[in-house]
Amino acid sequence: MAKVSPLAFGAALAIALLVSVTVAVTIGPANIRFDEVWRSIASHVGFGVSPLTELRDGIVWQLRMPRVLTAAAVGAGLALSGAVMQAITRNPLADPYLLGLSSGAALGAVSVLLLGAAVLLPFAAFLGALLALALTLLLAGSLGAITPSRTVLAGIAVSALASAITSFVIFWSVTGDSYREVLSWLLGSLSGARWPAVAITMTAIIVIGIPVMLTGRLLDSFAFGDVQAASLGVNVSATRWGLLAASALVTGAMVSVSGAIGFVGLILPHAVRLIVGPSHRALLPLSALLGAVFLVWADTLARTVFDPREIPVGIVTAMIGAPLFAVLLTRRKSST
Amino acid sequence: MSLFSRTAFIAGVSVLSLAGCATGAAPAPSPDAQPETIQLSNCGVAVSFDEAPERVITIKSSTTELLLALGLGDRIIGTAFHDGPVPDEWAAEASGLTSIAERVPSQEAVLDREPDFIFGGWESNFSADGAGERADLEALGIHTFVAPSACQSAEQPPKLSFDDVFSDIETVASIFRVDASALLTEQAAQLAAIDANGDSRTALWFSSGSDTPYVGAGIGAPQLLLDTVGLNNLAADIDATWAPYNWEAVVDADPDFIVLVDADWNSADKKIGILEANPATANLSAVKAGRYLVVPFAASEAGVRSVDAAASLSAQIAELDG
Repeated sequence: MAKVSPLAFGAALAIALLVSVTVAVTIGPANIRFDEVWRSIASHVGFGVSPLTELRDGIVWQLRMPRVLTAAAVGAGLALSGAVMQAITRNPLADPYLLGLSSGAALGAVSVLLLGAAVLLPFAAFLGALLALALTLLLAGSLGAITPSRTVLAGIAVSALASAITSFVIFWSVTGDSYREVLSWLLGSLSGARWPAVAITMTAIIVIGIPVMLTGRLLDSFAFGDVQAASLGVNVSATRWGLLAASALVTGAMVSVSGAIGFVGLILPHAVRLIVGPSHRALLPLSALLGAVFLVWADTLARTVFDPREIPVGIVTAMIGAPLFAVLLTRRKSST
Repeated sequence: MSLFSRTAFIAGVSVLSLAGCATGAAPAPSPDAQPETIQLSNCGVAVSFDEAPERVITIKSSTTELLLALGLGDRIIGTAFHDGPVPDEWAAEASGLTSIAERVPSQEAVLDREPDFIFGGWESNFSADGAGERADLEALGIHTFVAPSACQSAEQPPKLSFDDVFSDIETVASIFRVDASALLTEQAAQLAAIDANGDSRTALWFSSGSDTPYVGAGIGAPQLLLDTVGLNNLAADIDATWAPYNWEAVVDADPDFIVLVDADWNSADKKIGILEANPATANLSAVKAGRYLVVPFAASEAGVRSVDAAASLSAQIAELDG
């Protein structure tokens, strides 16, 4: 299959992201015209006066804009984490969701939310993600050489445990019908995304995500095994744990805002590989871009298809992702 | 509107019962008065009662309060899932009741009391991880009944009316072989006196939720109460009793009033906090002007407090209108 030039694909994705954000903020239950939306946004960054009433201006600037930007950041972060984890563990099935990071992060976040532990939410989610990842890898390692299937099995075990503890915490502390809120968040939802969520997720992308995106060359050296990587002068152990911790940190930041959204980290890096090939120098930034575009549209679907009701975006990503995952599995079968 | 025919009917009943009183033959409820078996279909489940239940467990405030209103407090051997304060008129009697569970009781907690009847406010109260499946309980000789207006799986009222609410009360009264006409006469009179002073202004029925608001939709008790006081429900077009909604649609509609449901476990004040903390909803005119209408949770579900809840909404609107 002819591969597309990474540069051309990257440029196309960057334009697609720009267009997606531009269009997505103009879509919603409230009937606000395209030009009104953008004049309102312009007014907030210092150009002109918003044509909308204060209230309708709030729809654009307090509800839609932060939500669309958060969707882009979360999508980018999850897809990037997935790509990095797939490379580090040399496991095409690795992603924050399957390896238990998301469940661990959710456990950390739920503990803070419901038990009122005195830790910042993203930090608790990070600790949960890191702990779950460490457990998964230790468990996979203790079963023998770390293979993809062992890692996934260990991830399932850790994920199940973290989910059980999360369920217990919820069952124990939730009152009345507030389970509904927690449930929506556990399924992965961006409905609560406001500007603080934008700040958290964008900071994670800029401070951790972008440096990670630049490690493609290092990850390429991992592709042929630890010995090969070491012979190229890479400090294998430090790089592996450093990058895994970075993935956990990014995942934690995203989960603390959106809950556990599945399949973004798993599917999108594969899609990028199909299009531009396996080189990580291109794979990491392109996965992040594609993840951003994907989640912006998945969330737009989640908040508009059943207008004026909305559904958790995690349902949308799973409905699209699970069939793609199945296709991926059958392709693997035919290629081995 | 069918409300009028119902009111007229109730008025007719009251005349008859008044006439009965005049002759000195006060209608004394007794198990012998209606010896025949009462057979009903309840949320699609066939139930039959050969005699009036004697040992009753109620789940949810709405069911407890209905029995108290019918003068059946002495039949209640246990209550569960208390939603909020009991109105003053029944408070003294309610204080003597035993609560067997803070939320939905487990099967064993229920069986331990040896009830002959369990009256649930929600269909979901009867499940294996709750009070038990209805068929299993029936096999043990324990009759079950769900407040008919709360039926979801079958026989859900297409759009709840006060006819339904009153007929539910009559049905429960018939199971216990007591006469509900005095209570219904009083309720019909109170209902007829309610001023529909909403004047077609708009309202959001904010039940719970923060990121995604959970609101009263188009066919349940919230819609009925809003209709009764002349308010237009923002979520009237959604064919559900309650439904998850969307803040953008709320902000877009900028409702004149916001109805806040006040529960022990999710207070009206907490909801005001949520509305004020979200920069988009903080600008709603109802939030800025504090045009909130508060409904106690137990009165927000169809039942013996529905009329009172509507009257209270109307009074609160009048107060806000000054």
